[in-house]
Amino acid sequence: VVVAFAILAAWELVTAIGVMASRRPIYNALSLVANMLGLAVLFLLLNAQFLFAAQIIVYAGAVMVLFVFIIALLNPQMDITLSRPSVEWGYGLIFGVVFAGLILALLYNRDLTGIPGVFTPQVIDAFGNVQILGAVLYSRFLLPVEVTSVLLLVAAVGAVYLAARKIR
Amino acid sequence: VSGVPAYYFLWLSGVIFTIGAVGVLIRRNPLVIFMCIELMLNAVNLAFVAVGRYLNSMDGQVFAFLVITVAAAEVVVGVAIIVQVYRAGRNMDVDELDLMKS
Repeated sequence: VVVAFAILAAWELVTAIGVMASRRPIYNALSLVANMLGLAVLFLLLNAQFLFAAQIIVYAGAVMVLFVFIIALLNPQMDITLSRPSVEWGYGLIFGVVFAGLILALLYNRDLTGIPGVFTPQVIDAFGNVQILGAVLYSRFLLPVEVTSVLLLVAAVGAVYLAARKIR
Repeated sequence: VSGVPAYYFLWLSGVIFTIGAVGVLIRRNPLVIFMCIELMLNAVNLAFVAVGRYLNSMDGQVFAFLVITVAAAEVVVGVAIIVQVYRAGRNMDVDELDLMKS
């Protein structure tokens, strides 16, 4: 498991840097697809089978197809130039090093201090990940689920409105 | 997850989040900035699921699921706006976009 985690972590880091630093948008998008697939496998490593499927279907499927489609449609050749290697690269790198250093120092060898819940791996194995997730989702988290459904409706209507409208 | 301490997952999540944040800062193409935002959301999802797994809780997975849903909605609206800006013939450079300036 440790070896699998190490391989996946290296894969995630390489593809994340690809998303950040590739010059052409299509390479950014493909790096992001690779990153999301690796993340899905990490979910599988964490016993989150339903999220594994949702990650592949929603992110690597729908969202990234949308991105690749838009890139192919707009063919943004004129703006593929990475921002000039200038002062903002320096600031970006300084920010990244400081931010990552703070997060890593904060998390260094720190144990989780929350109260453990009842869903131990044995319980999850007995009932199944999807069954338990569905039960929790539609009992304790019923209100957030309904609010999210309204949000999806608003987003769909907004996207149609934006696509139908002309701006100057 | 025997053998892998929880903070390995949180480290990985933090580093991916940082890479996404740096990408948002240094890139100028709005599409690429969007992809970096997706990267940050994914990193947060990883942290949610990892903490939920190590604390024997299902809440992390529920929140990650909701984050996936919200991210999908956000991408739809954002891409629609980007297409509109592109159709308006603007230069796709976030430093030079000032459509909201009145």
